[in-house]
Amino acid sequence: MRDFALMMIGAALVNNVILARFLGLCSFMGVTTRVDTAAGMGLATTFVITVSSMADWAVQHYLLDAYGLGFLRTVTFILVIASAVQFTEMTIKKVSPKLFQMLGIYLPLITTNCAVLGVALLLVEGKMGFMSSTMFAFASSVGYSLVMIIFAGLRERLALVQVPRLFAGPPIAFIVAGMLAMAFMGFSGIATS
Amino acid sequence: MTQLPVITNAAARSVEGIARVVRVTDDQLWLEPEQTTSCGHCSSSASCGIDTRQAPGIGSVSSRLQARRFVVDNPGGALGFREGDRLVVGVSEGSLLSASLTAYGLPLACALTAGSIVQGLYGDDLTSLLGMAGGLVLGLLGARFMARRLAARGDLAPHILRRARPDETCGNT
Repeated sequence: MRDFALMMIGAALVNNVILARFLGLCSFMGVTTRVDTAAGMGLATTFVITVSSMADWAVQHYLLDAYGLGFLRTVTFILVIASAVQFTEMTIKKVSPKLFQMLGIYLPLITTNCAVLGVALLLVEGKMGFMSSTMFAFASSVGYSLVMIIFAGLRERLALVQVPRLFAGPPIAFIVAGMLAMAFMGFSGIATS
Repeated sequence: MTQLPVITNAAARSVEGIARVVRVTDDQLWLEPEQTTSCGHCSSSASCGIDTRQAPGIGSVSSRLQARRFVVDNPGGALGFREGDRLVVGVSEGSLLSASLTAYGLPLACALTAGSIVQGLYGDDLTSLLGMAGGLVLGLLGARFMARRLAARGDLAPHILRRARPDETCGNT
């Protein structure tokens, strides 16, 4: 249990997908203008990363490893992720068309989110069991959502303050992102052993 | 020390987007949301699925937008909008969060809980995978029930806020 907890803290905070591994930067800058949209995108991405990691583990374990097809890993994972997004879209539409109208806008963006593929490939490197890999993927995506929401909150504040004209907009956002990354580096001091 | 400005009236804020009127009937307005993207459109947009000008077809942006058309009540044409009008529509912030939690949070929580329980009982990867899939299905059924309750309360219905300015886009509402 303690190992699980430490692994999840490590995945969410110490090796954060966005600030330590620099994955998913497109949505990090693009969807963080408001906290609520960042939270929506974060939850959608958390769902897709976790579900696709379950499918990726099964494909890796029972197909790629079993038949020596490891060289097809990247292309197979891309196919699995696209299928997971499509599955999510169809399921939400079936479960509630009204929910789909409200939330469906995020799903096409997730297909092109490199964080999803990045986490899937990290799981293979880790050679973990099913439950560990799913929890690692879940924790990674929680870390992703956490940073998205924190950064969106900072950008909402930034929109209200006066900054020099040269720094207005994305430049000051990048500077704040750098400071946030430095703050998260503090988590690397957590002893995990 | 400089005080940061306080964001007031947070509870009344809504998430806004732009939709175009595509059909007007006696009692209803059919609206199609304009595409929002996670990036600014660059010269490569035609090859990454972001371009809105691509031909309609399965999986294209046009077909996705058609699938997201929604209806707003317009009794007797009282709202006075015509086909082609661009409108700013909104849903409350709280609705977006509760919709996200219902659609994604609940199924995921059920899946992880079921997977953990099965893993604790049997300790086998394949059984855990099946348990988690079962939990996911249960969670989706729960989400369906919750979504019906939200819809019945009217929380999921977008409302028209105003006409969009000609230069207004999804990124600068």
